[in-house]
Amino acid sequence: MIRTATRYRMLAIFVLPALAIYVIFSVLPLLSSVILSFFNSSNGGSAFIAFGNYVHLFTDPYISGHFWNALRNSVEFFAIHLIVELPVGLLMAALLTSATLRRSRGIYRTLLFIPATLSVVIVGFIWRLIINPLWGVVSFPLLGNTATALPTISLMSVWEYIGIPMIFLYTALLAIPNDIVEASRIDGASPWQLFWRIKFPLIAPQFGLITILTYIWTFNGFDIVYALNGSAPGPNYSTDILGTLFYRTFFGSSGQVADLDLGATIASVIFFIILVTTAAYFVVLQRRIKTYEL
Amino acid sequence: MRSKLAPFAIVVVAAATIGLSGCSAGTGGTGDAKVTTITFGNWRTEDAKLWESSVIPAFEKAHPEIKVTYQATSTNDYNAAIQSKVESGTGPDVIMCRPFDVNRAWIEKGYFDNLKSLTSISNFTPTALAAWTGADGDPYCMPIASVLAGFYYNKTIFKELGLSVPTTMAEFTSDLKKIKANGKYTPLALGSADGWQLAYNVLDSIGPNYWQGEAGRLGLIDGTKKLTDPDFVAATQAFADLKPYLPDGYQSLKYEDMMQLFTLGKAAIIPDGSWDVTAASATGLDIGVFAAPVVKAGDQRYLQEMPDQGVGLNAKSKNKTASKVFLEWLGTTDFQKIYVDKVPGFFSMGTAAVPYTNKLSQQFADLKKGAKLTPRLALDRLSAGTPPLDDDTWAVLQTVLNDGVSAEAAQQKLQTGLDSWYKPAK
Amino acid sequence: MTATAPTRAPRGDRVRGSERGTAFAVHGLLIVFAIIAIAPILVVVINSFKTTMGIFGAPFALPGADTFTLQGYLDVFTGGDFVTNYRNSAVVTAVTIALTVALGTAAAWAIVEYKVRISPLITGFFIVGIMLPIRLGTVPLLKTMVSWNLIDTLPALILIYTAMQLPLAVALMMTYFRSVPTELKEAARMDGANEFRVLGIAIPLVRPGIAAVASITMLPVWNDLWFPLIFAPSKQNQTVTLGVQQFVGQFQSNYPALLAALTLGAIPLIVLFTVLSRQFIQGLSAGYGK
Repeated sequence: MIRTATRYRMLAIFVLPALAIYVIFSVLPLLSSVILSFFNSSNGGSAFIAFGNYVHLFTDPYISGHFWNALRNSVEFFAIHLIVELPVGLLMAALLTSATLRRSRGIYRTLLFIPATLSVVIVGFIWRLIINPLWGVVSFPLLGNTATALPTISLMSVWEYIGIPMIFLYTALLAIPNDIVEASRIDGASPWQLFWRIKFPLIAPQFGLITILTYIWTFNGFDIVYALNGSAPGPNYSTDILGTLFYRTFFGSSGQVADLDLGATIASVIFFIILVTTAAYFVVLQRRIKTYEL
Repeated sequence: MRSKLAPFAIVVVAAATIGLSGCSAGTGGTGDAKVTTITFGNWRTEDAKLWESSVIPAFEKAHPEIKVTYQATSTNDYNAAIQSKVESGTGPDVIMCRPFDVNRAWIEKGYFDNLKSLTSISNFTPTALAAWTGADGDPYCMPIASVLAGFYYNKTIFKELGLSVPTTMAEFTSDLKKIKANGKYTPLALGSADGWQLAYNVLDSIGPNYWQGEAGRLGLIDGTKKLTDPDFVAATQAFADLKPYLPDGYQSLKYEDMMQLFTLGKAAIIPDGSWDVTAASATGLDIGVFAAPVVKAGDQRYLQEMPDQGVGLNAKSKNKTASKVFLEWLGTTDFQKIYVDKVPGFFSMGTAAVPYTNKLSQQFADLKKGAKLTPRLALDRLSAGTPPLDDDTWAVLQTVLNDGVSAEAAQQKLQTGLDSWYKPAK
Repeated sequence: MTATAPTRAPRGDRVRGSERGTAFAVHGLLIVFAIIAIAPILVVVINSFKTTMGIFGAPFALPGADTFTLQGYLDVFTGGDFVTNYRNSAVVTAVTIALTVALGTAAAWAIVEYKVRISPLITGFFIVGIMLPIRLGTVPLLKTMVSWNLIDTLPALILIYTAMQLPLAVALMMTYFRSVPTELKEAARMDGANEFRVLGIAIPLVRPGIAAVASITMLPVWNDLWFPLIFAPSKQNQTVTLGVQQFVGQFQSNYPALLAALTLGAIPLIVLFTVLSRQFIQGLSAGYGK
């Protein structure tokens, strides 16, 4: 056993460099921006107004309308990722670990991951062209209809990022010790049973990790919507998610004056939502998984 | 086992070596002490080549002690980038100014120096300066260029279908009907995916003929008129009436798609701005321009002329003397001549007349004759609060085309939004 | 590949037939997925060799005699400073990966290995970082960079990206370090190894984790547009993503050049992923299972 003093010393040596960079270039700048949300600087000066901006955000009919709309859209954006990306990613991972694959395994793996390496500028261009009513293969204006625009963009995002859950789950499946698999195979389990009864419970923690990362990434999402539809994403704000609402408010646009205080308020609320949900998830679900494993 | 870490070691070593060489390269380039380099921040990425190869060399020839770096940021990111940089004291020395409300907010925040003392300012009328004045009435940006709105048309298609250039809305509609009946071409290259296009290139182009240009616009600002007045509703109705002539799937077509459709010769008319003369004629089509038609024959004609670009002096610039020399030059007829020649589709805002070598540019400039000029409706004062009328108009016009919202309901929604914050100026 | 061994055992024809069926289904599905993943990208590559008229006239056609052009690629190499952009992106990405991996691995190791009363607090503090919208801190970050004299330099970008990626790197590496057998570390300590030596023994076992962190780190760093735009906008410091933006106009874009630049910009990450993925997959089959 290592002495407590040594532990602290080793901890300091190893953790401090990472901690310093993280605090100086991420935590502190963010904190000093969050402070803006407690001030009103619209009339030249800067007056402390406590939660005034938060009250304004949730009571002003126009702004709160946009906020709830964006929140709903973010939930939908996340839900589509969850429903499509995780099952398909899992299927891809399972196929990639299939015993029948040999040398082709690496080729498939790379091909399936390639979209994740692209920038959203390419992704936006590709799909806009393919589903364009004038030049593309679909005559229905998918991106111009308030009902289909957001699902369409979500699926573009899924197309791009599906390689990430795939590779996570794939490595998790590879990491399952062979003796466990062999033992149940000898017990006469079919491949289907083998996967769901033996392998899946073993990769469940990875599955949970990906779920929560997908949640964080989609709620902080911004790039793909912005690349396709700009900072006031239409039609009629039907693709406006929390990230674009924050950007538009905080930085303004060619026709809208920036509101730093309100922008910081929106960002703080987004962060709070993510933090609370993630914390709740870890407390409730992770505990359940642990008891299940036991 | 450990040898398998080699790839990582290689990445680290490579990174370190390239990193070091990168840093040393970055510190160079301050040059000799005599020459001052100033940075010109703007959103005109397309014009980079023209400025760098023609406009800036002309300036540097006259002022060898100053070098100008053209720093373009794509228009979507421009406000965010400039605000972040100026707020932290790292902004470019001279900054291209958005017209009206956004710039007024920037002036209020102290981004710019007052330009009253520059002699070139006297080359502009108060109207030309108005888009960039502060609350004190003083000029804060040197006007560079305005843009005009109009309709490009494909002459070959017009000839083939025996159409004449419309001067009234009735003639315009009859032309559109004939093109549609023929079925070979899209009558109007217009999509609703980009809300700004609906507002700037269509409603704010045909609308002034309904709301009598400045009379209507200033009436909204001083509160004597409402967006729900019959004139404004009629304008939005005329906009909504264009719906049958749009291409299929127009709801998801963007501005770029529209210009491609037009230049491929598949559409007869495109509502657009003068800034697109180069793009519209890029494929060698025989193209003409007509102005927004009047409502009834004999009506006074109104034309949208929008102050587009001004250039201001960053209050935190470390090279103010050189920057002022550059700004003075931007206000001269010398500059205007070079600029309108090299960057066609943009119009000088100075009092001195400058010739346009580009044929389409000249045609656009000719549209001004006999017309009263007016800027876009919503950008002056009416977009300084939340909801900004400009952004609101974009979204509402989309619902008019896409969801069949009536002109009355649309105007009512806009007026309600405006009433929630706007206090009319006296 | 021990998993394949039992299937080699001699069995009846029916079993072999169903095996062939499985193989067929697996390959079939993977080929479908691969086509969905790759075909759209080929559209971009094909169109980068066409004129604007060719792109919009027939977007899915191969370049023909009248639509083929290399003008896009010419514009990229003459108009911009594409080579400089490439080098800048490579430097920023490589140094960020190296820093993130090094610092993240060290921190994760210590948090897992040296448990003290405040350990959960440190863990939580890092995990919160995964959720932070770092763009919000742009203006204060700029002020920091100004006072450190780092404005318009690549180190500014590297520091920001490292700060941005460290939380996830620490969290991921912690899960990998947890699976390192205690006996191994204790045995080393018994032999008198100091703590750095013990870490050195543990690192090969978490190699898959390192590769995973590296691949996850490279994606947003290479493709980010926002921070280069604000922190390193000048010509000599532009990254590829920012350089590509010069072909996107306010109203009209230079499509052949845009597509050429996008195609060229995508290649390095694909190569890097191919290299890294082989690393962590090999590491996995070596580290576990057998």
